[in-house]
Amino acid sequence: MSLSRRQHFRSIALRSPFWLAALSPLCLASQVQAAGTLAGTPIENTASASYDDGGTTITVDSNTVSLIVDEILDIVVTSADPGDVTVRPGEADAILSFSVTNGGNGPEAVVLTIDPNVTGDDFDPDAVTLFIDTDGNGSYDAGTDTLYDAGAPPILNPDETITVFILGDIPAGAADGDRSETELTGTAATGSGTPGTVFAGQGEGGGDAVVGSTGATDSDSGFYAVLDADIDLTKTATILDPFGGATQVPGSVITYRLTAETTGSGTLGNVVITDAIPDDTTYVDESITLDSTGLTDSADSDAGAFDGAGIAVTLGTVAGGATNIIEFQVVID
Amino acid sequence: MKYFIAFLAILAPASAVLGNQVALDSEVFVERSAEQADGTITVTLEEPERVVPGDNLVFVLTYENTGAEPAENFVVTNPIPDAVVFAEAVDGGAVYSVDDGTTFGLLTELHITNESGVERAAQAADVTHIRWTLTEPIAAGATGQLRFHGVVR
Repeated sequence: MSLSRRQHFRSIALRSPFWLAALSPLCLASQVQAAGTLAGTPIENTASASYDDGGTTITVDSNTVSLIVDEILDIVVTSADPGDVTVRPGEADAILSFSVTNGGNGPEAVVLTIDPNVTGDDFDPDAVTLFIDTDGNGSYDAGTDTLYDAGAPPILNPDETITVFILGDIPAGAADGDRSETELTGTAATGSGTPGTVFAGQGEGGGDAVVGSTGATDSDSGFYAVLDADIDLTKTATILDPFGGATQVPGSVITYRLTAETTGSGTLGNVVITDAIPDDTTYVDESITLDSTGLTDSADSDAGAFDGAGIAVTLGTVAGGATNIIEFQVVID
Repeated sequence: MKYFIAFLAILAPASAVLGNQVALDSEVFVERSAEQADGTITVTLEEPERVVPGDNLVFVLTYENTGAEPAENFVVTNPIPDAVVFAEAVDGGAVYSVDDGTTFGLLTELHITNESGVERAAQAADVTHIRWTLTEPIAAGATGQLRFHGVVR
């Protein structure tokens, strides 16, 4: 084909509205593709023709046009946590999960960086480390999953997704309701930048590497949310003397009331309320009540117990907002 | 000089037999679209230095009858490269194969049968070969183009 004819074809193509009309469905088709043809794959096109030459059928082949598919660089980072990761103040190695995907069409090393000091949140985690989900089970396994090595970032195949974990220590001073943002960034080792940026000769298979629509870098954030609770205990006493009054004389019955008020958005575990019997008094057998329900003195399946020196009531797991009232009685000796 | 004339005389009958010659040329362009400042989108065709998945390709087949006689029953067949999804033909009159070139027909007439025996209508993405059959002979010296679109997988 001569040069002049080629130019003619181009000018027709540019003027014709057909080409513009044809463009939009093609663009849509290209977006639904995943990694696509592997980088370095040749695309070779050869047409053949046959025609009759006075009764003889002649076959001709065209020249072969050969193109190489270049490497496209696309990285996608997304938080893999369904929501905020709830933590307690002072908790060590609280885990944030992320997935990192190579959306390109060639194997690519992905450089990972953590920013635990995102501004605008309530606290920053300490001693932050990054682990690769080596066994691919989606959850962090101490001793199995490997620490990220910046000198040897993980190499992801086209369309491959890996899970990575950020482990951070929650400061002891973090308060109930505090929230912390930590950002993970993944970047193609070959390079990143404006989509369309070309890294000549650096593609898989010897071609170029071209930055894809993601810019070959992506970030997402995971969040810690502190759930904490406190318990406040208030003790009051009511006295009933043998005469119907409130004097403290031998034989007067003292009813102690312990009000346990749990505050905060977290829960407390293994809560046991104990109170010693005061000197010069005698415990009234089977007098323990919890929220007006009587409890036995023996250490059995119900929550109450009396061991001869004091009472104990096991509340177990108590959520913030709960109020429990415990009463017991003693007689002044 | 006599020797040279004799040499031409030998060649002459042979070129008469081969006088009806059609050359077929294959080219591939990549379509690049760019939004201009006024919001319009211009599309340019480039000879690709590089292609990436999703690129829109235009395949251009150019035929030229370089012989002295018309060529009749001209049929051009282009297998779609593996790494390309056929999109649509630019020039009309094409027939398609979705079974690796065994049978050809209009796309609306073709079907794909999956492993479990369920049949569905063929789509552009199923096309393995495109073929044009010219109804008119190609006159001596005449040229023409046949074009189709594809997308890099």
